[in-house]
Amino acid sequence: MPAAINVSGLTKAFGATRALDHVDFSLDTGETHALVGENGAGKSTLIKILGGVYRADEGVIEIAGEPRSFANPRDAILSGVVTIPQELRMVPALSIAENIALGGLPTRRLLGFIPAVDRRRMRDEAQVYLEQLNFQADLDRPVQSLSFAERQLVAIAKALRLKCRVFILDEPTAALEDREIARLFDVLARMKQQGTAIIYISHRLDEIVTLADRCTILRDGKVVAVRSRGDFQTHDLIEAMTGRMAHEDVDVSPQPGRTLIAETQDRGDRMTVRANEVTGLAGLLGSGSDQIIRRLFGVGRDATAVQIDGKPAVSVTRPADAIAADIGFVPGERLLGLVMNLSVRDNILLPSLVRDNNRFWISRSRGDAVVRELMDLLDIRPRRPDLRVGSLSGGNQQKVIIAKWLARRVSVLLLDEPTHGIDIAAKMHVHALIRKFARDGGGVLASSSDLAELARICDQVLAVHNRRIVGRLERKDGLDEGRLRAAIGGTL
Amino acid sequence: MSRVMGQIPLLTLVLLCVVTTLLTDRFLSPINLNNILVQSSIMAVIAMGMTFVIIGGGFDLSVGSTAALSACVAAMVMLEAGIAAGVVAGVLAGACVGLINGVIIAYLKVNPFITTLGTMVLFRGVVFLITGGAPVEGPEGLPSSFVAFGSMRILGLHALVWVPIILLIVLSWVMHATPFGRQIYATGGGREAAYLSGVPTARITALTYVICGALAGVAGVMLAARLQSGQPTAGEFYELTAIAAVVLGGAALHGGEGTLYKSVIGVFIMIILGNSLNLLNVDSYWQRVAIGGVIIAAAAADSLRSKR
Repeated sequence: MPAAINVSGLTKAFGATRALDHVDFSLDTGETHALVGENGAGKSTLIKILGGVYRADEGVIEIAGEPRSFANPRDAILSGVVTIPQELRMVPALSIAENIALGGLPTRRLLGFIPAVDRRRMRDEAQVYLEQLNFQADLDRPVQSLSFAERQLVAIAKALRLKCRVFILDEPTAALEDREIARLFDVLARMKQQGTAIIYISHRLDEIVTLADRCTILRDGKVVAVRSRGDFQTHDLIEAMTGRMAHEDVDVSPQPGRTLIAETQDRGDRMTVRANEVTGLAGLLGSGSDQIIRRLFGVGRDATAVQIDGKPAVSVTRPADAIAADIGFVPGERLLGLVMNLSVRDNILLPSLVRDNNRFWISRSRGDAVVRELMDLLDIRPRRPDLRVGSLSGGNQQKVIIAKWLARRVSVLLLDEPTHGIDIAAKMHVHALIRKFARDGGGVLASSSDLAELARICDQVLAVHNRRIVGRLERKDGLDEGRLRAAIGGTL
Repeated sequence: MSRVMGQIPLLTLVLLCVVTTLLTDRFLSPINLNNILVQSSIMAVIAMGMTFVIIGGGFDLSVGSTAALSACVAAMVMLEAGIAAGVVAGVLAGACVGLINGVIIAYLKVNPFITTLGTMVLFRGVVFLITGGAPVEGPEGLPSSFVAFGSMRILGLHALVWVPIILLIVLSWVMHATPFGRQIYATGGGREAAYLSGVPTARITALTYVICGALAGVAGVMLAARLQSGQPTAGEFYELTAIAAVVLGGAALHGGEGTLYKSVIGVFIMIILGNSLNLLNVDSYWQRVAIGGVIIAAAAADSLRSKR
C-alpha cells in the first residue's frame, strides 16, 4: 500500500529566507506523525503547502502514490487532505449544523425546481458525525456561542464529513484544558483506527511522546531527524530541535518579601502578591483562574480595589488604574499585548508614555537608551528597534511585551498563558526572565493551563475551583505536574 | 524596498508635474502655480485634520459641512464683534462639531462612518438655518483687513499658504514627539493592545475628531477670507477630496499608519490633477470620472499594501 503522503525535495523560499530546504517527509496510512521544531523551523510552511495554501518552489508531493499539486486549499480538501488550523475559520452566526455542512449544503427542490437547503438532511448528517465524537449539542446553536474546544469538535466533524484521508492539526491543544485534551486524543485514536493518517503539530512535547508513532524534527527548514515511537523522549526532542542541551534547572528564589499588592475586598479568591515571589494560579477552564488576573488589571467582569505597599486602597476599574499602581499585564494573545504595525521601540515605550503624559514631549535619546538596554537584556532579535513588531517571531514578540513593563518599571507582573504558542527555547528564556524579575524584587502572578510551566516557574501554586482558592502547594513541598493536576481536580 | 514604497506619493506628484509641464506650457506660469498653492492650502488644512482621525483608526465625512459652518459663523460674528472674535468663533464652531463627533464615536461607540454621515447632513442643515441660505457678507462686506488677508502676500507667498505651512510644522512635531501623538498611532494600530497598555483610547479617539473639526474650522475661516463672505454652500465634496488625499499620501484606512506631510503631498496630487485636466481642456464630466478613478486606485493601493 502506498504512503498516504510522500513528499520529496520540497523547497520553498520567501524572499531571501529558505523556509523549507529539500525536505523529505512521509506519512503512512493510519499513522500519527508529529512535526516538531522551533518557531520558524518550517513546520507551518510544510503544512501550508500540503494544505494548498502555498505552492512549493521545488519538490514532489504524492498523495496515495499519485503526484499532485494543489493550486488552492479547495484542491487539497478534494484530495482528502484537511487541515484544522490554530485559528478556526467558521461562520460565527451560523448554526453548528450549517457550519458542518458548509461547502456542500444538502439541497432539495421545492415544487420540483426551486433549490432549497434540505435542513432535515443537514441536521441528520451533522448528528451522525457529532455522535462519532461523543459530542452532544443543540445543532441549531450558533457557533459563536460555543467554547473553543466545542468549536474545534465542530471543525473536526466537518473534516469527517469531507471523508478526509489525511488530517492535519496545528497546535490543537494550545487553548484546551486537560479534560478536553483527553477527549480530543480519544477522537484522534478513533480516526486513526479507521485508517486516517494524522499530522500533528504541538509545542507540548509530552503530548507528542504519548501520541505520535513517528516524529519528524525540523530545524532551519531542514529535516534533522526522523524517529519512531519509543525512540524519542522530551529531552532528546528539545536537543534535536534546538541543537542545544536542555537545561531544566530553576534557581530557588529568596524568601518572599513585603506585600506589594493586596486586594481589600473579602472574597473566596482574594489575592496578595509579595515581592520575590512567583505565584501560580491553576484551575480547569471556567474555574475563574484567568478572571483573577483580568480583575486585578481592571478588565475583568467585576471591579476590585487593592492596597499597594500598605498605602490607602485604590479601586482598579481600568488598565490605566492598574498601571498607575505599577502593575503590568502579559496576555497570551499577542494581539492584545502589542500594536503590531508600530515599531519595537514604540511598543516598548507605550506604557511609559502614559506616565509621561504630563510632560509636553518625549526625550528621544532617553527612550532610545531604555529600548537598547532592554533589547540586550531580553535578547530580542533582530536587534532593530525600528522594525515593525509584527515581523518578529512569536517568542521575540512575547519578550517585547515583557520589555514594555520592564521599561515602565512595574513592581508586579500579571501573566496569562505567558508562553502560549512560542517555541521551547524562547519559552525557557521567558521563564528565566520571569524568575529574574522576581529575584530582583518584583512580584508575579501567573495563570497558565500548562501545569508543567507553573511547576517550573512558581514558588507557590494556588488551585482555583469555582472562583475560590481550594488548595495551595509550595515549592518546598515539591511541585510537579501530577500534584498540580490532582490539586485542581483534573484526571491524572 | 520599503524606502521606495514610502516615497511613492512624492514620485507620483513629480511624475504628474513633469507630464503636465510637457503637455501644456501654461502649467508653470506664476499665476497658475499661485492658484494651485492657494487652492491646496485650504484643502491641506482639512486633510491634516483628516490624517489625525484616520491614523487614530477613524473616519470623518463631516469636514465639508464643518468648514461651511465655520465660514458662516466666522463671518456673522465678525460683522458684529470684530475680526479676532470672528476667527476664534469660526475655529471653535469647528471644534464643537468635532467634539460632538468624537463623543458619539468614542464614548457611545457608534460607527464613525454613520456618525459623520449624519453630522455632515445635520450641520449642512444648520448652516442653511442660521444663514437663511444666503451668503453672509453684511451690507458693506466683511471687514477690509480680513478680506485683505485672503489676497495679501507675505515673503512673496500668498498669506493663506502660510497657514498650512505653520500648522504642518507644529502638528508634525505633535505627532512625532509628544506622548499624545504616539498614543494616536497606538490607538489606531491596535486599540485593544493600546488600552491594555494604559492608553486612554476613548479620550484619544475623541480628541482626534476635535482636532479634525478645529482644523476644518480653520479651513472655513480661510475660505471666508478667500470668498470675502460666508458661503453656506461652500465645502461640498471637500471630505471626499481630503480622504482621497490622505489615502494617496499612504495612510492606512485601518488606522495606525500615516504621515502629515505625505497627506499634504496627496492634496497636491488631487489639486494638480484637477488643474492639469482643466488646462488640457478635458470635459468637466470626464474630470469627475478621472478623479473618481484616482480615489478608487488609491484605496486599492492601500488594500494591496496591507496584504503585503
